[in-house]
Amino acid sequence: MTDTPSILKAEGLSKRYEDGVLALDRLDLGVRPGEIYCLLGANGAGKTTTINLFLGFIPPTSGTCLINGIDITKDPLEAKKHVSFVSENVMLYGNFTARQNLDFFARLGGKTVLTKADYYQAMRRVSLQEKAFDQRVKNFSKGMRQKLGIAIAIVKDAPAVLLDEPTSGLDPKAAAEFLETMAEMRTEGKAVLMSTHDIFRAKEIGDRVGIMREGRLVMERTREELRHEDLNRIYIDYMESEGRAAA
Amino acid sequence: MIGTIARKEILANLLSYKFYVVILLAAVLVGTSLFIMARDFKDRQADYGLIRPKPGEPIAVNPPNPLAVFAKGLDESMARSYEIGPTGITVRAGQKSGNAVFALFPTPDFLFIVRVVLSLVALLFGFDQISREKEGGTLRLMLANPASRGAVLLGKWLGNFISLAAPFLLVTGLGVAVLSLDPAIRFSPDQSLRLILILALALLYIALFLSLGMLVSALTRRASSSLVILLFAWALLVFVLPNLGTLAARQIVDVPSVRALSEKRQQIWTREILLRIRGQGDWASHVKAISAENDALEADYRLKFDRLVALSKNINRVSPVASFVYAATEIAGTGIGEEGALKKEVVRYKNRLIDRSLASPEGAGAGDPAFRYAYRPLDRVLAAGALFDIAWLAACGILFFALSYVAFVRYDVR
Repeated sequence: MTDTPSILKAEGLSKRYEDGVLALDRLDLGVRPGEIYCLLGANGAGKTTTINLFLGFIPPTSGTCLINGIDITKDPLEAKKHVSFVSENVMLYGNFTARQNLDFFARLGGKTVLTKADYYQAMRRVSLQEKAFDQRVKNFSKGMRQKLGIAIAIVKDAPAVLLDEPTSGLDPKAAAEFLETMAEMRTEGKAVLMSTHDIFRAKEIGDRVGIMREGRLVMERTREELRHEDLNRIYIDYMESEGRAAA
Repeated sequence: MIGTIARKEILANLLSYKFYVVILLAAVLVGTSLFIMARDFKDRQADYGLIRPKPGEPIAVNPPNPLAVFAKGLDESMARSYEIGPTGITVRAGQKSGNAVFALFPTPDFLFIVRVVLSLVALLFGFDQISREKEGGTLRLMLANPASRGAVLLGKWLGNFISLAAPFLLVTGLGVAVLSLDPAIRFSPDQSLRLILILALALLYIALFLSLGMLVSALTRRASSSLVILLFAWALLVFVLPNLGTLAARQIVDVPSVRALSEKRQQIWTREILLRIRGQGDWASHVKAISAENDALEADYRLKFDRLVALSKNINRVSPVASFVYAATEIAGTGIGEEGALKKEVVRYKNRLIDRSLASPEGAGAGDPAFRYAYRPLDRVLAAGALFDIAWLAACGILFFALSYVAFVRYDVR
């Protein structure tokens, strides 16, 4: 698998904001098909900035962001055809039903020929209760909205998936269901980049785990390597070394 | 992509109570306005039936214009009686609206409803188009897809415009259909065409305010800030700016008062009478001299007045609302230009009557033609300024939309 070209690729990616803060410092990262890459790090480490750069929400100061070989800054519309996005707090149109939301975002993602059955299938896949399919989303819990967000990513069927702290605030059952869906995506050959604070789930689901600190990728381990190491300890060590450096 | 977003906007509006409240309000106002103004028109038409001059009477009266139901403009002034005498033209009060409350408040015609209420409704549809999506978090998800910002903006604009225009046209169409059942209100083919143009103009006006709403929404991060800014802009554009021009123009152009004009006419009359008493000249030459001097006086006054009006109009056009009113009233035949044309026609009629009375040994009489005013044809009305106002209105709308695009491209969606 290591020879397979990355679907999501950052090359020397840096971002300095207008206020002078260097949020990302020469990040090199690649996520291959059928791989889940978990980015760990404290708040402000650069995880969300990385996702925002991959989505073209902000321009990079230097470096490139490639999705399926397409530079997001040069051809953003073409690049976005190859990526799905699930945010930390999936916000949808409250007055729309789950199916109406799914239909809108599927069409926006370029899927214009999907049927009601396709939408129902996607919602079943993320374990959304049948009775919720035609309910207004404003009555949904965070977990239900998160599931719908993943269903949106499923119907788009893009080769790359970006997830920004997707398990934050989910109850254990919903989080476990989420991980199952991620595992299915891996089986389907999706390249998944997930930013998270959740060390245990990162270890459980990640094929590779990277730790970010002050905009830099300071550590990277494969699933194999983590079998013999304590990710929790490694993470704490890096965070403490950051604290010592700051002192 | 634009169609997908437009459909989403229409569905979002159909599922929102705000849509129904606003549309119900507009429907009630448009319906009530058409009903009230139709009654007003019929009252004035009945009055016209009473004061209509008999053959040979030296009086010029223009009947009320049925399009005044939609844009009353200066129709009341245009339907006054002009009594023609050797000293000139005396304007009588003529018909006044039966409803005295009209004198206290702006006339609640269709034009007023569109100008004041529907502009506000359009802003209420546009004020949170970008900021609400940003606050709600849906903007990130939307733009994570292959939808360009231009397509998102245009789709949103289109969806909201259709949401506004469809019920507006439905309500107005129903109102017109009900009006056309009334035998007292008859629209000629030319007037029907003018009515369609006025409706199209109203849609252009609504589109402009929707674009303005979206512009401010794209410039602000919070819907509440956008609403406050837009309410201020609305008050400025609809109420303040269109009146400032008139006040400013009065400081620049000096126009004699109507009272001074009347005094001057009296002086001319007295002078000619004295000359006649002294036996200088015959009666016909005195009448011709009075008429000619009065005409010159009127022409001079009209020239200065026209200059004042032109300057006021140009300053007022800073607000596109003024352009909307000018264009709509001119198309309806109740505007300033039409009133000026009517007055010129009255002067010509007076001169014809005086010439006939001086030429005929019996004087003016039953054989004299009755006054009949033919409204300027639509192409002349458009060429005389209405087309400019329509173009200006469209240009402002396009400018607001273009600026909202520029603001949205720079908008931080995070």
